[in-house]
Amino acid sequence: MAASMADERNASEQSDADSEEEFEASDQQLQEAFEEGFLKPGLNFIAKPTKEFAYDLPGMKNALQNFKQDLSWIERMDVTCGPANIPGEDEEESQAPEEDEVEDYFKRELKFYRQAQAAVLEALPQLNKLNVQTKRPADYFAEMAKSDAHMKRVREKLIERQIALEKSEKAKKLRELKKFGKSVQQEVLSARQREKSEMTKKLKKMTKGKMKETTEELKEQQKKGKKRNLEPKGRDFNKGRKLTKKQQYKDAKYGFGGQKRNMKRNTRDSARADDDGFSYGRNRKDVDKERKKRGQKVFRPGKNRRKAMKQRKGKKR
Amino acid sequence: MTWSRILSGKDTWTNKQRVLIFASRGVSYRGRHLANDLRTLMPHTRTDSKLDKAKGFFEINEICVMRNCNKCIFFEARKTDLYVWMANAPHGPSAKFLIENIHTLAELKMTGNCLRGSRPILSFDPKFDSQPNYKLLKELFIQIFGTPRLHPKSQPFIDHVLSFSIADNRIWFRNYQIIEEDGALTEIGPRFVLNPIKIFNGSFGGPLLYENPKYVSPNYYRAQLKKKVGQRYRNKVESVLGLEGRKMKETYATDPLNDVFVTIRPEDAKGKEKMTFYRRK
Repeated sequence: MAASMADERNASEQSDADSEEEFEASDQQLQEAFEEGFLKPGLNFIAKPTKEFAYDLPGMKNALQNFKQDLSWIERMDVTCGPANIPGEDEEESQAPEEDEVEDYFKRELKFYRQAQAAVLEALPQLNKLNVQTKRPADYFAEMAKSDAHMKRVREKLIERQIALEKSEKAKKLRELKKFGKSVQQEVLSARQREKSEMTKKLKKMTKGKMKETTEELKEQQKKGKKRNLEPKGRDFNKGRKLTKKQQYKDAKYGFGGQKRNMKRNTRDSARADDDGFSYGRNRKDVDKERKKRGQKVFRPGKNRRKAMKQRKGKKR
Repeated sequence: MTWSRILSGKDTWTNKQRVLIFASRGVSYRGRHLANDLRTLMPHTRTDSKLDKAKGFFEINEICVMRNCNKCIFFEARKTDLYVWMANAPHGPSAKFLIENIHTLAELKMTGNCLRGSRPILSFDPKFDSQPNYKLLKELFIQIFGTPRLHPKSQPFIDHVLSFSIADNRIWFRNYQIIEEDGALTEIGPRFVLNPIKIFNGSFGGPLLYENPKYVSPNYYRAQLKKKVGQRYRNKVESVLGLEGRKMKETYATDPLNDVFVTIRPEDAKGKEKMTFYRRK
């Protein structure tokens, strides 16, 4: 900056000397002045007064000379050096543009840190050479710059922040897991649905007589699908019956005999059309109570499992 | 430094710097805390009651002499801003700074800590050697912030670094604790930024040696901000007026006498015009 200041000063001196020429400013100068906004419509422009900044170079040198101390380094302990290089980083990389560094908090602080680091690396060997202690023995206690109460506060703050971080991390993981579990469940459900529809299709084919061979599986499925008793149930009136093939088929399809009432009633068995893994026993509410009554030990799973069970129950309902 | 040398009187406290740290009346709590922080870090300091600015700054030199101090850090509060003078009393030179971005020890939750009154290593940016004004400031900082060796209140171990860096034409102050000998540091605090304004030859006055051309007074800066806001309203008003000025009053120049012989039909007459014409029934 000193050079630029000196240049400005020279320029101003020159302009004083050439003040006569200034009246006959060239076209280019006028154009420049117009672009900068000094020229207004009209023929005159007002020169902007430039402030003179004090810069007394000999004075400064003199002052420095006068009050400088002539002491050995150990008395002053000053180190002038640039930032230390980070191992593994090239010098060229560390030479970032300065404006960037000033605006960017981390870059700026890192630069300061590295400067201090370089100073330490330079000063400590010198101090060691001069037999100055740089490490405090563990049994040396003295008043510190920050009180214990202050340091405690700092520590508490640190721990608080760490805990908050852990908590948020945990919550994030849980959310992810939940999302994953949901997708798995949906897959299972859709697979079940597919199976069921396939089965019913097969069943239909069979009942229409298109499919000759009835597999065991299908028979079972038929039993499950129709809740009615397909086995001939009548005791006596079945004896004298002579059945045609058609009647036999119809009996197989619709069943016969027995109570017709309440056949279409919704019961918990009818509602549970296929075996979906639902267990009454497991979902009965008063299991614990009964166990208590019987004097048995109440089975109480861990918290996570209990929570999971609760969720499952909620979904069933 | 061996104890035998000290005890035998061969090593003595030779560098007798004493720094007076105090503030003007009306200094904010932050400035006061910063002054206190500096006092905890520097065992070779003294303090005085707050100074009334009306008495003038030259009195500070007398106070320094009375308090037996040859360096001075004086915090001057003006409006919301804090300025700091650092001076070599009573003969100068002295420098005036604007303090920006103050963070005191209590505010900063930094993990570093150091012995109260241990001697610091002073770290300077290489830019301090590039210009005479910075050179002068560097010498001033060394003499003020460096704790004299064997000062009775100082500690015998060196466990922290005061770092002065130049960025953005300002001097940034940082304080780090030395954790490991291999150069691992943690910051202790406080933090502040010094924006140099002027350097004087004397102590708290005297001929100007240097003036920072890039310094913008905070007052001026605030005024500019206000002006900018005010300018928005002014622009709006001016644009409305300008539009009115540009609008044409009449689109075509017609002869005003054209209308003289125009008669109005009674059906079209309105208001007074009705009086001009009566049709007989």
